[in-house]
Amino acid sequence: MSEAPSPHPRATPGTSPASAEVKIAAAAPQLELRGVTKRFGGVAAVDGVSFEVAKGEIVGIIGPNGAGKTTLLNCISGVHRLDGGDIRWEGASIAGMAPHRIAKLGIGRTFQIVRPFGSMTVRENAAIGALFGSAEARRGVKGAFELADEVLELVGLSAKGRHPVSALTIPDRKRLEVARAVATRPHLLLLDEVMAGLNNVEIDEALEMVRAVHATGVTVLLIEHVMRVIVGICRRAVVLDFGQVLAQGEPEVVLRDERVIQAYLGERYAKRLRAEREQAGTH
Amino acid sequence: MANFVQLVILGLLAGGVYVAVGVGFGLVWGVLNIVNLAHGGLVIVGGYITWQLFTALHLDPFLTLPVDAVALFVLGYALQRGVINRIIRAPLLFTFLLTFGLNLVIINILLLIFGSDFRSVTPTYSGQGLEFGSVVIPYVALTSLGAALLLAAALAFILNRTRIGLAINAIAADRDAAQLVGIDLRHAYAVTFGLGAACAGVAGGLIAMIQAITPTAGEPYTLQAFVVVILGGLGRVSATVVGGLAFGLVEAFGQSIPGSGSVFANAIAFGLMVLVLVTRPQGLMGRLR
Amino acid sequence: MIATLDSNRRWRRVFLIVGGIIAAYALLAPLTSLDAAVSANVPLLADRLWFRIATYIAMFIVMATGWNIIGGITGYAAFGNVAFFGIGAYTTGMLIAKAKWPFLAALPFAPVVAALFAALVGLPLLRLRGHYFAVASLGVGVAVGELVQNIDYGGQPLFGGASGLFLPIDSIANRGLYFFYLMVAAAAISIAVTWWVLRSRFGYGLIAIRENEEAAAVLGVNTTAYKVAAFALAAALTGLAGGIFSQWNVFINQDNAFPIEYNVQMILMALLGGTGTVFGPAVGAVLLQLLIQFLGGSLPMTVGIPFVSEAARPIVAQVILGLLLVGVVIFVPRGVIDFFGGRSRLSLSYLRRSLRETSL
Repeated sequence: MSEAPSPHPRATPGTSPASAEVKIAAAAPQLELRGVTKRFGGVAAVDGVSFEVAKGEIVGIIGPNGAGKTTLLNCISGVHRLDGGDIRWEGASIAGMAPHRIAKLGIGRTFQIVRPFGSMTVRENAAIGALFGSAEARRGVKGAFELADEVLELVGLSAKGRHPVSALTIPDRKRLEVARAVATRPHLLLLDEVMAGLNNVEIDEALEMVRAVHATGVTVLLIEHVMRVIVGICRRAVVLDFGQVLAQGEPEVVLRDERVIQAYLGERYAKRLRAEREQAGTH
Repeated sequence: MANFVQLVILGLLAGGVYVAVGVGFGLVWGVLNIVNLAHGGLVIVGGYITWQLFTALHLDPFLTLPVDAVALFVLGYALQRGVINRIIRAPLLFTFLLTFGLNLVIINILLLIFGSDFRSVTPTYSGQGLEFGSVVIPYVALTSLGAALLLAAALAFILNRTRIGLAINAIAADRDAAQLVGIDLRHAYAVTFGLGAACAGVAGGLIAMIQAITPTAGEPYTLQAFVVVILGGLGRVSATVVGGLAFGLVEAFGQSIPGSGSVFANAIAFGLMVLVLVTRPQGLMGRLR
Repeated sequence: MIATLDSNRRWRRVFLIVGGIIAAYALLAPLTSLDAAVSANVPLLADRLWFRIATYIAMFIVMATGWNIIGGITGYAAFGNVAFFGIGAYTTGMLIAKAKWPFLAALPFAPVVAALFAALVGLPLLRLRGHYFAVASLGVGVAVGELVQNIDYGGQPLFGGASGLFLPIDSIANRGLYFFYLMVAAAAISIAVTWWVLRSRFGYGLIAIRENEEAAAVLGVNTTAYKVAAFALAAALTGLAGGIFSQWNVFINQDNAFPIEYNVQMILMALLGGTGTVFGPAVGAVLLQLLIQFLGGSLPMTVGIPFVSEAARPIVAQVILGLLLVGVVIFVPRGVIDFFGGRSRLSLSYLRRSLRETSL
C-alpha cells in the first residue's frame, strides 16, 4: 500500500520507484485536496478526502458506485460548495469559487451524462469552449472556431464538424464532450466516466484520444469503472469508498489491495480471496 | 386586542378560499409540471355554475359545490385529453402560452353567454354570523372554510387511497417508470387535470358567495394560487393548506395597514412570493424538489 | 431534406425580395403624405390612419425583438417585460412633464433607467429557473405598474396617479410621420442589436446558457453576468419603445403604459415569428398586430364575422386570438420563420411532425 506523497522528500529514505514519483509530486502539487468534505442533508458524500496531483500526471479515481467520485469532481470544478476542507490549484485556494472562474483558471471537465448544446453544430459546441475557456483559449469568434477545428482534429471529429449534435452517436458525443473541454485549453482535465457505454473497440479509440490530449501537456484526472483504462494509462489511482480515500498508489498494487476488493466485491469474496492467497502462500 | 383576533379570524376565513384555489393549481403543477394560466378561468366557470343554479333553482349555494366539481372535472378532463396533452412534452413556455390562450377563450365565451354584469350569490344567511363580543364570524365565510378544508381532505384521500390516486403519485415521481408498470399516461394526466379543475370549480362556487363575479373576476386568483403553492411548498396537499391559510393571514394584516394598504395588494403578494423563492424556495412546509 | 436545399434557396430569395419590397413601401409611402409631396401631385400612397397602425407595429417589433434576447436567445422566458415599457414611458414622461426637458434629451434616459432597473431586479430573479422565473417576472411586471400608479410623495401621487401623466404637446410638424420614423428607427436598432448579438461571443454565451446552463458555467461562461446583461439589454430596447410612446401619445397612465396583455403579445409575436432568430419576432409582430387590429375592427378594411353582432365582435376577436394562440403553440412551435428560412415547408406532414414531437 502506498501512502500519500510526503511533502518532505528528504525525510523519505529509499530509492524505490514509488519514491521517485514522490519526489516529482512533492516539487509542487498542481492540484491539492485537503480534507474536502461535502454533505447532502446528513450524509457526507465526500468525507475528508485528501490527495495531490502533480503537473502532467494521469491519475485515476475509482471506487464502487456511490463512493462520491462525481461529487468530488463537482467540488473541484466549483459546481458544489465545500462543507469543509480546501482545494488548492497551482498554489492558490479555489474553494468557493464560481465554476466559470475555475474554468478560466485552467480546470476543464466533462460530464458523465453528456451535455451538448443541442441546437448547435459540433464545431459550434467546441467553439464555446474556445470562446470562454482559460486564458490560453481564444476570445475572438474567428479564432475560437480555428481552435475548435484543431481540437476536433485531435479527438477525431473533424469530418463531422458541421453536423448537428443530434446526429452524433454516443461515442461521438463523448468525443465532443472531451473536445469542448479541451478547447478551453485547460491545464487540468477532469474526465467523468468517459468510457461508460463504449464497446472494446471504442474504448481503445477513446484511450488513444485521452493519450493524445495528455500528450499536449494536460494533467488528467479521470473517474473510471473500466479497469483496463485505469491500468492502461494511469500512473496512480485513488480509491474512494463511502466518500473517503481507501487507498492510493499504482493501479496494479491498489487493485490487489484487500480493502479495495472488499469495497467492490463484498466481504465474503474478500475473505475467500484472502484464504486463497494464504493457501497459495504456504505452497 | 379584539381587533387583532378579528383580523386573525378574517385571515383564516379568507384563507379558506385560497386553500380551495391553491390545491387544484398545485396538483396540476406538481404532477404535470403545468402552471395553468387558465386556472382563474376555470374557477370563475364554477362560480357561474353556482350562480346559475342558485338563481334558477334556488339551491343553497353550498349544495351546488358538488355540481361545480363534477362539471369542471369533465371540462378539465376533456381539455387535458384533447388539447393540453398535445404539448405536454414541449418546453414550459409553450404550456404557459397554451393555457393562456385557453383562458382567453374561456373568459370570452363566458362574456358572450353571461355578459360583463356583476352577479352575486346571496343566500338568506349571507350577512349574518356568530358573535363573540365584538368579534364576528360570518356564517358564509365559516362554512366556506369548512368546505375548503373538506375539499382538501377529499383530494388528499383520492391521491393517497385510491388506485388512480396512486397512479398519479407514481407519475409525479417518475413518468417513464409509471408507464413501464402499465399506467395509462393519457388517462391519468387527464384525471389529474380534471381533479385540478374540479377543485377550481368548487373554489369558484365559494368565491361567488363572497364577492360579485364577472367573467374576469377569476384572474387575480391564478396568480394568488401560484403564491399560495410557493408559500406552502409544492408537493403535498397539506402544504398547500398551510400556504393558503398563511396567505389569508398575510392579506388580512396587509390590508389593515393604514393608508394605501389595500391598494398594494398585488405588490405585497408578489413581494412575498419573490422573498420566499429567494430565501426558502421549498416553502413553509415543502421539501426541496 | 437535402433534396429541398435548392428549392429552399429559391424560396428564401423570393421571400427576401418580397420582404424587401414591402419594407421599402412601408418606409417610403408615408412620405407621400407630406405637404410638399401633395403639392407636387405625387399620388398618396398611404394615408395618416396607416401611420398610427404602422407605428404600433414598429413599437411591437421593438418589444418582441427585445423580449427575444432574454426569452428566445437566453431561454429565460420573462413574462413581465411590459414593466420596462412603462418604466421607459414614465422616465421620459416625468423628465418632460416635470423637469421640462426637451423630448430628445429625455428619450435616451428611458432605455438607461429601464436597463438599470432590470439589472437590479434581475440579480435575484435570474437565479430562479423555469416556471418560477416566469411567474416571478410576471409578478414584478404587475407590481411595478401598481406601484407607479399608487406611490405618493408628500401627499400627492408621484407619477400622476390614477389620472395619469400629461405631457406637453410638442411642436413637431408632421407628428404622425415623425413618430413613425422614430419608432421605425428603434425597430431597426433592435433588429441590428439582435443581429450583432447572435454573431458575437456574448450571443454564443447566451445560447450556451439556454441549451445547458451548467455546462456553460464549467466551460467558463459567467452565467450570472451574461443573464443579467441580456435582461438589461431586453429592458433597454423595451424601455426605448416606451419612451417614444410617451411623447407620441402625450398621455400615459397605468393602463396604457403597463398593459398586461402586452406581456403575452410580445411573447406570442416572438413565438409566432420564431424565437432565437433575428427577424422572427419582427415578422411575428407584423402578422399578429395586423391580425389584432383587423379583428378589433380598426383597420380601414373590415370584414364582418358572420353570425356575430357588432357589439360581440371584440369578444369574438379575443376568442379567435385565444384559439390562434393554442393552434400556434401546438402546430407551429418553431415559428413561421421556419418556412421563410427555407428549412421546412408548410404542409400537413410538417404540422403532424410538430404535433408528434410534443404530444404524449
